[in-house]
Amino acid sequence: MSSNERMTKGYDVTVAIVGNPNVGKSTLFNVLTGELAHVSNWPGTTVARKEGVREWMGVRIRFVDLPGIYGLSASTLEEVITREYVVNERPDLIVVLVDATIPERSLYLPIQLLELTPNVVIVFTKVDEMSRLGIHIHFDKLEAMLGVPVIPTSAIKGVGIRDLLNTIVELTRSKRKFKELVINYGGLEPFINEISKIVVNSKVLKPYPTRWVAIRLLEGDKRLEELLMSSNELDILNSVLKVRESVRRSIGRDPSELAIGVRYEFVSSIAKEVVVRVERKGGSEELIAEVFQKPVLGVLASSLLLLTSFMLIFTVNTGFPLNMIFKFLGLEGLAEFLETYSLSGVLGHAFNVASDYVRGLLHYNPVLASLISDGVLVGVGAVLSFLPLILMIFFLLALLEDSGLAPRMAVSFHNLLSRFGFSGSSIYPMLIGVGCNVPAVMGSRILLDDVERRQVIFSVPFIPCQARFIVTSALVVSYFKSPTLQAVALLSIYLVGVLTFLLSSLLVRRVVYKVRESPELILELPLIHTPKLKVVWWITWDYTKHFLRKAGLIILTLSVVIWFITNLGPNGYVGDITESFGAMIGRFLAPILTPFDIPSGTDWVLALALFQGFVAKESVLDTLAILYGTADISEAINSLGLTIPQAYALILFITLYIPCLATVAVVYQESRSLKMTMLQVIYMVGLAYITALTTYYILKII
Amino acid sequence: MLKPLTELPKGSKVKVVDIVAGKGLRDRLLQMGLTPGTVVEVVENSSGPIILSVRGVTIALGRGMASKVLVEELQT
Ligand SMILES: Nc1nc2c(ncn2[C@@H]2O[C@H](COP(=O)(O)OP(=O)(O)OP(=O)(O)O)[C@@H](O)[C@H]2O)c(=O)[nH]1
Repeated sequence: MSSNERMTKGYDVTVAIVGNPNVGKSTLFNVLTGELAHVSNWPGTTVARKEGVREWMGVRIRFVDLPGIYGLSASTLEEVITREYVVNERPDLIVVLVDATIPERSLYLPIQLLELTPNVVIVFTKVDEMSRLGIHIHFDKLEAMLGVPVIPTSAIKGVGIRDLLNTIVELTRSKRKFKELVINYGGLEPFINEISKIVVNSKVLKPYPTRWVAIRLLEGDKRLEELLMSSNELDILNSVLKVRESVRRSIGRDPSELAIGVRYEFVSSIAKEVVVRVERKGGSEELIAEVFQKPVLGVLASSLLLLTSFMLIFTVNTGFPLNMIFKFLGLEGLAEFLETYSLSGVLGHAFNVASDYVRGLLHYNPVLASLISDGVLVGVGAVLSFLPLILMIFFLLALLEDSGLAPRMAVSFHNLLSRFGFSGSSIYPMLIGVGCNVPAVMGSRILLDDVERRQVIFSVPFIPCQARFIVTSALVVSYFKSPTLQAVALLSIYLVGVLTFLLSSLLVRRVVYKVRESPELILELPLIHTPKLKVVWWITWDYTKHFLRKAGLIILTLSVVIWFITNLGPNGYVGDITESFGAMIGRFLAPILTPFDIPSGTDWVLALALFQGFVAKESVLDTLAILYGTADISEAINSLGLTIPQAYALILFITLYIPCLATVAVVYQESRSLKMTMLQVIYMVGLAYITALTTYYILKII
Repeated sequence: MLKPLTELPKGSKVKVVDIVAGKGLRDRLLQMGLTPGTVVEVVENSSGPIILSVRGVTIALGRGMASKVLVEELQT
């Protein structure tokens, strides 16, 4: 690398981090790179990619976080990504993580990696847990046996981090090279040699070490076979397949089974030498684990825990659902108290005060005053009013994740969800969706199955979020008088939303991707432990930051754009919305509402409000209030003068069409597909319209 | 006697003999340490996913997948 290149690249060496899921990769990555991580996606996939730079002893080290994997067989997308990265991008060094609490299993990955490249440092994570579990590991002995550096660390306690950084700097400076690991595959050796002789002639497989390619091909490797196929090296492929077939016939088993078995035997023989385990009595952690693993008890405990946590979060946020329950019980005063002192109530009030203050301050320039108070401040307010909700939801999820409860709860819900083409882990994006669709779409990242991920991204926006709840409940309360009817109406809306979500997701899985089976569940259940506040905060802040950056910017920008649309007209600043561009848009869209028998005069008002709702659902109400020139939302709603069938159809439409532009933006960001994003918008609006219209005509007849 | 993993009661110790699944799934399970010959303990087995202890690790397997893992009961 020339010094010029160094300057522009912003780093001197690249270190890739590889490890099993849950090995402690994110935690270590955070400690290594601090807050400076850059998050994106691996090209063409929904798999997240993180990288960050850390300077140590004058060397700028770029750390690239590779996806969590169990091996290198290319049986999952994550494994393919990791392998291609290691082979094609040639990082200067690979740090492979081994979970010190389960060395007998997690030593497999470094062993397999060492067969591919010797450019490896083995790092043990979570060494602080070893004494509690009665595990002792002879790290120096392992180092001698494998011939590469072995470093024990604890990201939580800050142990071994300096050691690791020193080793990275020293190794990349000295360009010291280690030898590849050669494992004796016994009976398979003659065939490995035979295939080696065939593949040395391949051009496309040149970048890979020959012996490694031979072993991989003997085991059957889709990715390498595709490579041979696509570069027209069919002779080589056919000769290889012939060898593989003859081996399979003579031993009666897939060679991969033997090869993986040999590797694990090798791992066991090492573990026997370097790992000492002493029996320890199980503590309260094991007891909790057992409760959540029990069939009926587990489902009950999981549901109870999630239900109460979410109820609490929502109540703190908007007063709902406790306020409804209080109202139902006739405790109006208490319900009102909850609404006034809920976070969104308090924040909303604070922003009204701030708006008035700015207006007063800038009274000499009404245009600027309006831009700042009705545009910018409204935008900031919208972002901030979401923030507490998002923070609380992520905090809860981080707690569940870090304690080890999250995967156990996913197991509890698996049976139920697999009927709808989901795995148990989908419970998390669904629950987040009830709060806000933006992080729900982002939450699809935790899913293992790529199709399932797309299912969630595509259909989770149908789950009624809190913003939609605010709008629909205002409409419901205005048009349905008895509390029982109100409750039924609200419940039916949630039902429709969730049902549409489930069916749309099935449609994506069965029809679009043509997958018949539900995603299979293979989940490792980590040890239960008391959550560490530091880690929980990291996870929470990581997600929240992401939300703020993506959604926050969009919401803010759009609020300003909307201000321009509703305050400017063909004659410049109009100050009266009925003469603005917005009114023109409303009038243009109005005919769409004709089938609903909405009288003219009301139609364009409603159309404009719905158009605004495209940006953010809450603005449906604000727009109505502005258009009818009142601060009282319920008065504005009543001014529409809708019939009950019209009102209910409207509520349905609001529930189902695009939740907000921020959601559309993250759908694009997560799916990386403009086509899918556009399709989704069309699908949602179309479905909402048809559903609303059908319901309207049915209700009218009744 | 060979039995699918789903038929073994909680608490039994078994030896993995074969995994009769598509290559992708089989390789995945093999890589997680369920290689033939490995001794596995059934931690939980009722209507939901099966929970196993393999090489010091607790793993949950959907029933569909667990039924493809053929095992041999160990005399205790
Ligand atoms: N005791 C201890 N626990 C740790 C340490 N590092 C991570 N953990 C815990 O290990 C669990 C997994 O950590 P993560 O950093 O999320 O692991 P990951 O490998 O990124 O896992 P995925 O995000 O699932 O890929 C968390 O519960 C952490 O609290 C450590 O040094 N000591």
